[in-house]
Amino acid sequence: MTRATKHRELRWLIGLTRPYRGWMLAGVLLATLVILANVALLALSGWFIAAMALAGLGGGAINYFTPAAAIRGLAIARTAGRYLERLVTHEATFRLLAGLRQWFFEHLEPLVPARLQDRSGGDLLSRIRADIDSLEGAYLRLFGPVVTAVLTTFLMGLFLLFWSPGIAAVDLAGLLLAGIVVPMIVLRTGLDAGRALVEARATLRQRTAETLRGLAELNLFGNPQHRLDRLRRDNAELIEPQRRQNRLDAGGNALNGLIAQFTWLGMLVLAIDLVRNAHITGPELVMLALFGMASFEAVAMLPPAWRAWGETRQAARRILDLVDAEPAVPDPDVQEPPPTRFDLDFDRITLRYPGRAEPALDAVSLVVPQGGIVALRGASGSGKTSLLNALLRFWPLTDGDIRIGGRSIRTLSGDGVRGLCAVVSQHTHLFNTTIATNLRLARPEATEAELRAVLAAVGLDDAIAAWPQGLDTEVGEAATRLSGGQARRIAIARALLKDAPVVLLDEPTEGLDAASERVVVEALRRLIAGRTALMISHRPQLLSLANQIVHLDQGRIVHP
Amino acid sequence: MRPAPAPSKAQTRRLDRWLRSEARNVRQPLRAAVALDGLNGFLLIAQCWLLALTLNATALEHALDHAQAHSLEKHSLEDVWGYIAAIACLFVLRAILNYLAQRLAFEAGARLRTGLRARLFARIEELGPAWSRNQRSGDIATRLVDGVEALDGYIAGYLPQVRRALLIPAAILVFVFPADWVSGLILAITAPLIPLFMILIGGETERLNQRQWRSLARMGAHFFDLIEGLTTLKLFNAARREARLVGRIAEDYRQETMGVLRVAFLSSMVLEFLAAISIAMVAVYVGFRLMYGEIHFQNGIFVLLLAPEFYLPLRSLGNQFHARMDALGAVEPIIELLNAPSPTDRQTDHRGTVPCHAQDANPNAGLREGSDEDRNEENPDDHPEADPDKAPGDIVFDGVDFAYPGGQPLFHHLDLTLPAGCVTALVGPSGAGKSTLTQLLMGFLPPTAGRIRIGGKDLAHIDPEAWRRHIAWVPQSPTLFLGTLAENIALDRDAAAAPIDDRTRSALWQAAERAQALAFIERLPKGFDTRVGERGQGLSGGEIQRIALARAFYKDAPIVVLDEPTASLDPESERLVSAAIARLAEKRTVLVIAHRLSTLASCDRILYLNDGRILEQGSHADLIAHDGAYADLYHRYRQATS
Repeated sequence: MTRATKHRELRWLIGLTRPYRGWMLAGVLLATLVILANVALLALSGWFIAAMALAGLGGGAINYFTPAAAIRGLAIARTAGRYLERLVTHEATFRLLAGLRQWFFEHLEPLVPARLQDRSGGDLLSRIRADIDSLEGAYLRLFGPVVTAVLTTFLMGLFLLFWSPGIAAVDLAGLLLAGIVVPMIVLRTGLDAGRALVEARATLRQRTAETLRGLAELNLFGNPQHRLDRLRRDNAELIEPQRRQNRLDAGGNALNGLIAQFTWLGMLVLAIDLVRNAHITGPELVMLALFGMASFEAVAMLPPAWRAWGETRQAARRILDLVDAEPAVPDPDVQEPPPTRFDLDFDRITLRYPGRAEPALDAVSLVVPQGGIVALRGASGSGKTSLLNALLRFWPLTDGDIRIGGRSIRTLSGDGVRGLCAVVSQHTHLFNTTIATNLRLARPEATEAELRAVLAAVGLDDAIAAWPQGLDTEVGEAATRLSGGQARRIAIARALLKDAPVVLLDEPTEGLDAASERVVVEALRRLIAGRTALMISHRPQLLSLANQIVHLDQGRIVHP
Repeated sequence: MRPAPAPSKAQTRRLDRWLRSEARNVRQPLRAAVALDGLNGFLLIAQCWLLALTLNATALEHALDHAQAHSLEKHSLEDVWGYIAAIACLFVLRAILNYLAQRLAFEAGARLRTGLRARLFARIEELGPAWSRNQRSGDIATRLVDGVEALDGYIAGYLPQVRRALLIPAAILVFVFPADWVSGLILAITAPLIPLFMILIGGETERLNQRQWRSLARMGAHFFDLIEGLTTLKLFNAARREARLVGRIAEDYRQETMGVLRVAFLSSMVLEFLAAISIAMVAVYVGFRLMYGEIHFQNGIFVLLLAPEFYLPLRSLGNQFHARMDALGAVEPIIELLNAPSPTDRQTDHRGTVPCHAQDANPNAGLREGSDEDRNEENPDDHPEADPDKAPGDIVFDGVDFAYPGGQPLFHHLDLTLPAGCVTALVGPSGAGKSTLTQLLMGFLPPTAGRIRIGGKDLAHIDPEAWRRHIAWVPQSPTLFLGTLAENIALDRDAAAAPIDDRTRSALWQAAERAQALAFIERLPKGFDTRVGERGQGLSGGEIQRIALARAFYKDAPIVVLDEPTASLDPESERLVSAAIARLAEKRTVLVIAHRLSTLASCDRILYLNDGRILEQGSHADLIAHDGAYADLYHRYRQATS
């Protein structure tokens, strides 16, 4: 790995924070103020009572008003500073969050679905989720504490240097050890345990889920006792790395405590020497001792920050790897006006996925006349979905051309082509919002009457009207409200609302029971009526709608 | 995941109580941890006292010596080295105590989590398949793993900190009062204000914090919902529209949340303020009392050193509130699961109470009744089957009623017979109760009334485990378990206990061969040792189905229940699976649930289930000739598929 790519994540993250730099800087300055106020409060208090004691014993007169007022002032500065600091750092974090999410969404959009096809859906999503979460916390957990620690340590060092280079050196060494060396060692040593822990947690989660899903099978085929033992073992395997980590963390804590304490003890011994040689006064000795004690607050936030550092960096790397891919199909520079006829002409198209030896489509030619309904059959992996993806400009063609109404899709933008097509697939996503909002995705300006009309066309109007919230029912309650068939029909209603001249169906009845399948097929019949349609299915009910059936095998059309 | 509704105060108290009662199970390590912390507190006080002596000797007396030109210098500085050595020893001792206390707190948490998980697993096992099939497995898995993890912060973090926050300030007060009663008073007065303010402001803040957390979760859910549906958005050319929305929602959220946080952060400000101002007050008052000669310097500095330590545990408690909230948020669904009503609860009184240990020991034993009285009720001469290869007689539903708890009756006086050695198909519209019927047959649900007889025996009096040894089941979407294919087929083996021997291997081979699975398994680079996951990564639907069939062949049970195993397969897979099923059906009692009617002609008998009863029964030809509901369904089906 070169230097440039090594720091790519860091540079990217810092670049991302640029618009919020003012807020972040303010947060760091306030945090520095809070720590310094606290250190100064204790140091000044120590100096003050020692000086007062000396004055009381006849060691000289003292102006006690100024330090007493300063002590109160520092206490208030620390309190107010802390409050403001929390407000400002949260402000900065939320601004970063908004920016990051929009950035991510905009950068992911051109890559979907082409670049994400190989990655398994659920895994990828939960990983993205965790990654975005840790990036959103980057300022609060990582940048803020680190910059603050550097700044406060520098300022405290300057202050101590004024009194004695030796004392300053001891404090700096202690801070360095406690803030960087020990936490880094703990982190390094704990890497294995951390990995084991993540793995063990995933295993336990998966084993629990499969136990629930397959409880009947376990009861009939397996031995429930073995299963319980197994789960207990999985639990023990999760606890064990946690124990190792706890040992390390507890040891690290104790060691850091020792470092802090021996540091100020060292500072004290040096200061005693200075007093003996009359370089400093007694009250100054007390001040330096208490200063040393309080100074470790500067690095208290560093151990968790280093932990966040590893996570943040990994997260940034994965997110960057994801969005750094080139958009799959660039739009043409000059776009032609949309076609007026809607027959589809696949002309010897070849499509090859990177890293695969065999082409997914190998010189496939197929014509769907306007208003025609063509069905594609074939085993999984025969190239059916690739054909649709090529048409929708989700994947670039390696060779050949596709024409809609005689116009090559190469001369149309991705949005332009997709505007002509309505797609219903097994995986059509319903968003976790109201039914009305889900439908209006197809046409934002659609009236309620229009929504009811398309729902009526798929036979859902009565069922939805019967719900108390009607069209405003949240789909999120889908588990209880919508059956698989109903969800599919809402997707069909949405496609109807789009009123596109070309309809593409990708196994739209997959996973439904026979009764639901029947009503879904009925709704699909209405959707494709009068439109050019291309469908993928091996379900007889659906195939009966087609007026031509084409068989695909290993990327070629076969004629059985 | 949707955020749960905010718990009310009473609820919070209830959950808190539950957590504390759970903590009683790990009383010993927790107490030991707190005891070590207490000891550490005392050593800290001693350390402060030694430091006060050191500072007194060096900063004050030494300075005075200089000023007054006495020659006590040597004497006082020699004392100091002794103090410093003692302080260094205390450092080491305290570090050790600190380490041990952290370890003990962890062990307490670990033991609690282990125990709780064991109970939850046992509970799931007890609730059984009739319950679990209606649960969202991912949700519960999260509860059991991450939810239980979240309790750790409460047990190992929050609870010991509560004790520390009581113990250490009290101990410090005991020593501060004799040193300087004015400072003691300042501390004593301000300290209770901290928890008081925390309760006063904390209650409100807690709610605000929660509301904010929840809306953050909601916003996150919305965002990831959009990411998940990005392809769909693109198909509607709506992605760019939504991208603007993402930014706007986050911006709205920021404004709303910052308004909340301005109030929420006040509570922590009060805490900071009291701690800071008390230190300032102690310093100033002690300073003046020193100047007037009312106390000795070493007492004064001792008090000043203790003042920050006095507030430290209280401030740390504030940080632990987060862990407490996390735990309270996670605990509700856990309690819910522990208290979930079992779908078979009401039947426990009817069932024989004598456990069948003999059957546990001997897997080859046939059906045996659970209780002697019940046997008298039945025909006493009729001995149960002992040969697992032979079907244990006809299966008869005799006036069976069934209703889910709190639901409408599903079956009323259901009568049907599954003749031994025959293939019976169950058809009917969805929602007619076909799956529930198989659950009853497999003994996962008990009838509300009536009997299910197996070769004359009432199923309610048969040990469920013994009964299940006679049944193999191939569901619509079989579960593959984490492990190798071999482990998945021979599910009864404890994979960790012993490696697969030659006999098992040949049985596996045979079962796979009969299930039409051998060819594809042997094509895999690792064959039977290929590891598969929950969703059977790398295997197609048809292959998973054939693994499930291999499981059934391997078990070689006399009764087979098939829940439309070819429903979602492509034609080639369907052909292979159907061939394997035909083989499995030979010489066994088979119940097949069929949504598709194309394969029914080969069944011995067909039962048409509707409205909770058997509407028609007979062979395919009989029912077509009868021209009733089945014939109607069949013709419509043919029409649709032709």
